[in-house]
Amino acid sequence: MNPVYPVNDYGPLMPGLVMAAVAIVHVFLAQFAVGGGILLCYFQWLAMTGRNTTARLFVNGYFKILVLISFVLGAMTGVGIWFTSIQVSAPTIGQMVFNFHWIWATEWTFFSLEVVAGYCFYRYHNQLTDRTNLTLLGLYAFAAWMSLFWINGILSWQLTPGSWLETHSLTDGFFNPGFWPSLFFRTIVCMTLAALIGCIVVNVIPSLDRSEKQELINRAAHLMTPMLAMPLLGGWYLLSMPEDSRSWVLGGSPAMMLFFMISVGASLAIGSYALIGLWFQKLYINGATATLLLFMAFGATAGGEFVREGSRKPYTIRHVVYSNGIRPQDVAELRRRGCVADDPFPVTFESKLPSANIELGAKVFRRQCAVCHTMEGANAIVHLTGTWDTDQMRMNIAKLQQTKPFMPPFAGTAKELECLIQYIRWVKSKRQQNSDEDISQETLERITHWLDEAGTEPADVHGVSTSAMAAREGSSR
Amino acid sequence: MNTTFPFGFQLPLAFYLTIYVLTLVVHVVLMAYVLGGSLWLTWASLFPGKEKTPRTMQPVARLLRDWMPFALSGAITAGVAPLLFVQILYQQQFYTANLLLGWRWMVVIPVLIVVFYLLYVVKSRAIASWALPLRVLLACGVATCFLFVAFCWTANHLLSLDQSQWPTVFQSGNAVTSAITLALRLATWVCGTLPVMSLLGLWQLRGMRSRTAKWDAEEALVGTSPTEWDYRFSQENRRLMILSVAGTLSAFIFATLYYSQLDQKVRHSLTGSAGFVWLMVLVTSAVAVILLSLSRRKKSVQELSTLLGLTCAQLIQLVAAASLREVIRLTQADLTAVTQNAADAFQIGGFAVFLIFAVMNAGLITWCIVLVKQK
Ligand code: HEC
Ligand code: HEM
Repeated sequence: MNPVYPVNDYGPLMPGLVMAAVAIVHVFLAQFAVGGGILLCYFQWLAMTGRNTTARLFVNGYFKILVLISFVLGAMTGVGIWFTSIQVSAPTIGQMVFNFHWIWATEWTFFSLEVVAGYCFYRYHNQLTDRTNLTLLGLYAFAAWMSLFWINGILSWQLTPGSWLETHSLTDGFFNPGFWPSLFFRTIVCMTLAALIGCIVVNVIPSLDRSEKQELINRAAHLMTPMLAMPLLGGWYLLSMPEDSRSWVLGGSPAMMLFFMISVGASLAIGSYALIGLWFQKLYINGATATLLLFMAFGATAGGEFVREGSRKPYTIRHVVYSNGIRPQDVAELRRRGCVADDPFPVTFESKLPSANIELGAKVFRRQCAVCHTMEGANAIVHLTGTWDTDQMRMNIAKLQQTKPFMPPFAGTAKELECLIQYIRWVKSKRQQNSDEDISQETLERITHWLDEAGTEPADVHGVSTSAMAAREGSSR
Repeated sequence: MNTTFPFGFQLPLAFYLTIYVLTLVVHVVLMAYVLGGSLWLTWASLFPGKEKTPRTMQPVARLLRDWMPFALSGAITAGVAPLLFVQILYQQQFYTANLLLGWRWMVVIPVLIVVFYLLYVVKSRAIASWALPLRVLLACGVATCFLFVAFCWTANHLLSLDQSQWPTVFQSGNAVTSAITLALRLATWVCGTLPVMSLLGLWQLRGMRSRTAKWDAEEALVGTSPTEWDYRFSQENRRLMILSVAGTLSAFIFATLYYSQLDQKVRHSLTGSAGFVWLMVLVTSAVAVILLSLSRRKKSVQELSTLLGLTCAQLIQLVAAASLREVIRLTQADLTAVTQNAADAFQIGGFAVFLIFAVMNAGLITWCIVLVKQK
C-alpha cells in the first residue's frame, strides 16, 4: 500500500499543468543540448578538414554559448521535473526511481561525462588542437545522447511496460515496446531543433556575407534530413501504444487528438520546408523564418508531451500506478478499509465544513479526484455533475471507470462515496446547505451494489493478459 | 543500531547507506566550494583591505570567480546521486517533506538558475568598472542565494525527520517547527563548508603558483614585482589556513549546541554503539585539520604532503559527519520500513550495468582531463 501523501492545493492551476509546462521547457532544452552536441561535432569536422572554414566561427563563437545555456538550463529543469513530479504524484516518481535506480545511476555517470567534456571544450578550446577539440565534442555529444538513451527507457516504460508486467525483469522494462520508436523519434527531434537554432545563429553572425551564410545554413539543414523517417517512426510509435491510448489520440479524446494534430502538423511543415528547400534549390532560411520554424518545433514538442502525458490516463504508469497515486492491486483493499482511513492531513482547502461527513467527503475528493479535477475551476466536478440527480451521481461515481474509461475505479468504501457526494452537493449549494444528512443503510447498500457491479478492475482490463494480472496481484510493490 | 554504522544493518540497507553517504560527501565538497567561496567573495568585497591590490583582485578571489560556475555545475550534478538514493532509503519522509514545503521547495530551482548566471556576471571582466556598492551587492546576492538553498535543504531534512509534526505543519503551513534547531544545524553546515573551501583553495593556489608565468605577466601590467607576488601568495595561504581553523572550530561549537537540542534517544545512539566510533573519528580528524593548518600557516606554498594530509583528514571528517547525520535520522525513522525498502530495492537488477558504465565513464572523464592537460 502506498503511503498517503499531503496534497497541496495549487488553486486553479492544477499541478498537472505545472508539470506539463516544466516538462515541455525541459524536453525542449535538453533535446536541443543533445542535438547541439551533434551539430558542433559536424561543424568542427567541417572546419578542420577544410570543407568549410567559416564553420569554425560558428563552433567557437556563438553556438557554443547557446549549448552551454541550454545545457545548464536543461540540467536545472531536469532536477526541476524531478521536484515537480514529486509534487504531482510522489508514488509515481517513487515507482520509477525504485524500479530503475541503477539505470538512473548509469544515466548520471553519462551526465557527469557530459559536464566534464562540455566544460573542457568550453574553457580550453582556444588552446587545444583541432583533433582534441573534436574528441571532446565527440565525447560530449556521445554522453548527451546516451543520457537520452537511458532516460528514454524509463519514460517509455510508463506508457508501454509490455512484458515487464509479467516478468518484472529490468531488461523487459527498459527495452519495452515503445523504447526504440521513441528513441529514434526523439533523436531526430534533437537534430532538427539544433539545425533550426543553428540557422538562427548563422543569421546573426555579423561578419559573414550572404553566400557564407547560405553555405552554413545548408550544412546545418543536413541535420534535418532524418526527418524523412518521421512518419514511419511516428506510425511505429502509435502501433506500440496500448490500444485504448491509441484510440484516444486518434479521435477518442478531442483534446488529445488536437494536440496530436498540432504536433504532426508542425512537424510536417518544418520537414517539408527544409526538405523541399534542400532538394530543389539551395536552401536559405533567414532569421525570421528560422525563428518561426523554431516556434513551430516548440509547438510540436509541447503537443507531443501533452499527448505522452495525457494518453496514459487513468495511469501514470500503465497497470502500476493510477494518476491519483493509488495502485491497481490496492483498490479492493481500499474499498474495504477506506481510502482516507489513514490520511492524517486535515482539510485545508475548505473552511467551515458543516459536518464530519462532508469533511470526510472533501478528503476523499482530495485523495482520489483532485489530481485531475477541481471542484469549481478547471475540469470541475460541480459542472460535470451539474445535470445529475443524487442517485445518478452515486451510480456514475461508483462506476467511475465505466463513466469515462480514462478514470480509475473508485477506491473507497460506500460510505466514503456517499460522503463525497454530500460534499459535492454542499459545494453545489454555494456552501450554504448546512444539514448533516444521515446516511441510510439502504443508500449504502445501493452504492455497494453499484461498486460491485463495476468491479475493481480498470476499464481497459481486456487489454491485459490474465497472467499479467496475476503477476500484478502477486507482486508486493 | 547496536554496532558501528552501517555495520549493524542487513546487507541491503548497509549497502545503500554506504553509497548514500559517499555520494553525499562528494556533493558536500563541491557545494562547500560555492557556498564557502561566495562567502569569501562577499568578505573580500566588503573589506577590500588597505593594500594596493584590493582583496577581490588577489589570487584566491580570482580563482574563485574563475571556477565557481564549473563548481556549481559540479555541485548540482553531484547532488543528483544522493538525491537518487535518498529516495530509495527514505522515500516517504523525503517526499512528504517536499510536499509540505510545496512551492517553497520548488523555488530552489529558479534560485539556482539565477545564481548560476550571476556567477558568470561575477566572472565577467566588465564588473571591474562597476561602482563599489554595486559589486558588494552582487557578491551579497550570490551568497544569499546559496545560503537560501542550503536553508531549504536543511529545512527539508529536519521536516523529513519529524513525522509526528507533519499534520500540524500541513495545517498551519509553518514549515519550521523549531527555529533554533534549524539555525544551529544550518550554522554547522555553513561553518563546515569553510575548511573544505579553504582546502580546495590551497590546492588551487599551489597549482596557480606552478604556472605563474601567465599570471605574473598579467600582474606585471599593474606593476607587481616578483617579491610582492610571493608575499601575496603567502598572505593568501595564511588567510586560508586561518579560515580552516576558524571554520572547523565554529562548526564544532554549533554542532555541540545542535547536539544539546536533540532528543535523549538520539543523543544516546550518537554516543552509543552506532555513533561512538564516528564521533571519535570526527573529533580526531578535526583536531588534525586544526593542528596542520596552524603549523603550516606561514608557508607561501603548501607542500604536497601537507595538502595530502589535510585532504585525508578533511575527507574522513566529512564521512564521519555524514555517517553521524544518518545515525540521527535512523534513530528517528521506522527502521523496519527502511530495512524493507532497501531489501526490496536490492532485488532490482541493473547494478552490473551501472558498474560497467561507471568505470567506462570514469575512464573517459580522466581522458578529457588528460587531453586538456596536454595543451
Ligand atoms: C486520471 C484522471 C482522473 C481522475 C483521477 C478522476 N477523473 Fe473524473 N474525469 C477525468 C476526465 C479527463 C474527465 C472528462 C472530462 C470531460 O469530458 O470534459 C472526467 C470526467 C468526470 C465526470 C463527468 C463524466 C461524464 O460522463 O460527463 C465526473 C462526474 C467525474 N469525472 C468525477 C470524478 C470523481 C468523483 C473522481 C474521484 C473519485 C474522478 N472523477 C477522478 C479524469 C479523472
Ligand atoms: C549550490 C547549491 C546547494 C547548496 C548550497 C546545497 C547545500 C546542502 C546542504 C547544506 C545539505 C545538508 C542538509 C542537512 O543535512 O541539513 C544538502 C544536502 C543535500 N543536497 Fe544539496 N545543496 C545545493 C544544491 C543541491 C542540488 C542542486 C541537489 C540535487 C540535484 C542537491 C542534493 C542534495 C541532497 C540529495 C542532499 C541530502 C538530503 C537529505 O538527506 O535529506 N543539492 N545540500
